[in-house]
Amino acid sequence: MGKLSIGCFSSLIGSMTLDFAVKLAEAARKKGHDVDIWLSGNGTMLSKKGQRKFQDYSSLEKPVTDLIKGGLTMVACEACAEARGQHKEDLLEGCDRKSMDWYLASCFKADRVIHIGGE
Amino acid sequence: MKLGVFVNQYTKQNDTLDRLKADKVGIILVQNGVYNATIKEKGVKSSVLDKGTEVYALSEDLQSRGLDPSGIDSKVKVVDYGGLVDLVFNDYEKFIWL
Amino acid sequence: MASKKFLFMVDKLPYKAESSRLALTHAIASQTVDIHLDEDDEMEEPVIAFVGDGVLNCMKGQKALECYGVTSLEMHIKNALLTDIKVLICKEDVERLGLSEDNLIMDAEDIGADMQSEIVPFDDILQQMEKSNHILYF
Repeated sequence: MGKLSIGCFSSLIGSMTLDFAVKLAEAARKKGHDVDIWLSGNGTMLSKKGQRKFQDYSSLEKPVTDLIKGGLTMVACEACAEARGQHKEDLLEGCDRKSMDWYLASCFKADRVIHIGGE
Repeated sequence: MKLGVFVNQYTKQNDTLDRLKADKVGIILVQNGVYNATIKEKGVKSSVLDKGTEVYALSEDLQSRGLDPSGIDSKVKVVDYGGLVDLVFNDYEKFIWL
Repeated sequence: MASKKFLFMVDKLPYKAESSRLALTHAIASQTVDIHLDEDDEMEEPVIAFVGDGVLNCMKGQKALECYGVTSLEMHIKNALLTDIKVLICKEDVERLGLSEDNLIMDAEDIGADMQSEIVPFDDILQQMEKSNHILYF
């Protein structure tokens, strides 16, 4: 089994890019691969707890929380989150916050990297 | 280099895509990129389909846009998320997201 | 020594989106990646390549700090040079956009950097794609 590192820089609402990343991560986990997700820029929205579910908007808190419980590693860029008014107490359960070098180290250790830039 | 290129938009031109050279280029159509697999403007298929030695389209993104996987260009292979994971680990080494 | 090459490619315009800024800050963060790696001899070698309209990030004389209070991309590019990161600018796009070395950030001597930017054909950037272990396309 391999390791996949996914960098996500797109926003939670509007682009459905994070939906893509989460579904890809889910499929990779089902096949037994290790998966890291790095959230940066507007992607840090996904790391915020208390997302209310509406059918008109992407709703990823539940699948992401389940994936983290199942072994997925998800880390948000601390500076990007703080700049958006998201503080440590706002973090989703199981999600961590670190600086950008964490993502580079994750890529260093990964067999495959899919870096999804922002809009 | 075995390069997987995620195309997530329906655009007429992309400088990087036009200039890529690699031993193996796989075009992976996702999100709005899947329109490249089906739309024929004035009867002409998308030039994106000629950019890769292999072309794939994500079935979930075809279906969510009302595009029938059975009606897409014959060059395009339809994969689901599980199939995409296999492509990522078995068929390509590096990836770019355009 | 266990070294891996990362290519940071930028094809987006500056300021309207965060992409090019994050490409530069992530590349510069390569300086401290070793704190997360297991072995002392592991290191990451970053290269930044500006292609397509992304070469416009490299225009000199940017005054974003004065006008909007945000760090300019010029400052980030100079910091990248200061940390000895190879900065490549696509020649075909420089010519297409009517630019020349005179318009672009070719060095950061003012902050003490030895490294200089290089204007190179796209084929050289393709070679960097070949050589790199991973490509981060911003």
